[in-house]
Amino acid sequence: MKDERDEKLDLWLQQRAVTPASADLTQRIILQAQQVPQRKSVSLWQSVRDLFAEFHLPKPAYVLAGALAIGLVIGFSTPQYNETSANDVVAAQNFLSADETVL
Amino acid sequence: MATAWPEKDDNELLSLIQNGSSQAFSTLVERHTERFYRLAYRYLQSREAAEDVVQEAFIKLWENPGLWQPARNSKFTTWFYQIVVNLCLDLRKRKPHTTLDDGTQLIDEREPIDESMIRAQEQKMLEKEIAALPERQQMALNLCFGEGLTNQEAAEIMGLNLKALQSLIMRAKTTLKTRLKSIL
Repeated sequence: MKDERDEKLDLWLQQRAVTPASADLTQRIILQAQQVPQRKSVSLWQSVRDLFAEFHLPKPAYVLAGALAIGLVIGFSTPQYNETSANDVVAAQNFLSADETVL
Repeated sequence: MATAWPEKDDNELLSLIQNGSSQAFSTLVERHTERFYRLAYRYLQSREAAEDVVQEAFIKLWENPGLWQPARNSKFTTWFYQIVVNLCLDLRKRKPHTTLDDGTQLIDEREPIDESMIRAQEQKMLEKEIAALPERQQMALNLCFGEGLTNQEAAEIMGLNLKALQSLIMRAKTTLKTRLKSIL
C-alpha cells in the first residue's frame, strides 16, 4: 500500500520542471532537413531494374544483338569436321618425298 | 507556422516522408518536437543537449526514412522514443559530465518567494538524486512519470519485459525515498 511519502514522491516525479525548448527549435530542425539529401532505401529488385535501365539500348540495337546471339548459337551448335580427302594426304606425302630424293 | 495536414496521422505522414515530402516532415516535427524534447531534457538536464538530441533524431529520420517500417514498428511515437533514448544514452557516454542548467528558471514567479524557493530547492535535490541513479532506472522514471506512458509502453521502448521495468522503477523509488528522507 502506498504511504504518504510514496505519494509525495510520485507527485514530484510527475511534476518535474522542464526548461522550455528554444522557440525556434522546430524551425531549426525543418531548415536543417532541407539541406540534407534523403537516402532512399532500395530493394534488391529495384536495384536490378535500375541496373538494366542504366544499360538501356534503342530497339535496332536489340535486333542486331539478337541476330548476333542467334548466329553465335547456330555457329557453335553446328558440328565441325574437315573434309580432307585421302588423296590430298597422299599427294602431299609424294611431294615431300620427292623433295627428299632431290636432296 | 501553421501545421499542414493536421488530419493526417503519423503513419500517413511517414509514408509521405518516405516519398520525399518535406511538408509531411515539417508537420511531424511540429507535432512531436515538444514531447521528445521533454524526455531528452529530463534525462540530460541541459536544454542545449536535449535540443541537439531531438534535432539529430529527426534529421536521422529525414535522411533515412526507410528506418521506419510500419510492419515491424507498432507506433511511431514508441519507435521514435527508442531513437531519442538511445541518442541520450550515447551522448551521456560521450560526455558523461553534461552541465546541468541552473535551477533559477524552475522557479514559478506566481508563488510567494519563500514557497517557490523551497520548491526549487526540493526540485534541485530531486534532480541531483535522480542523476545519481543508474541510467536505466533514470530512463524508466522519465518514461513512466515524465511522459505518462504506461509501464507496457515504457518496457517496449527500453526493450525490457514488464516485470524488469517494474523492478527498475521500484528500485529507483526505493533509492530516492532513502536519499530524500529529510525532505519527503
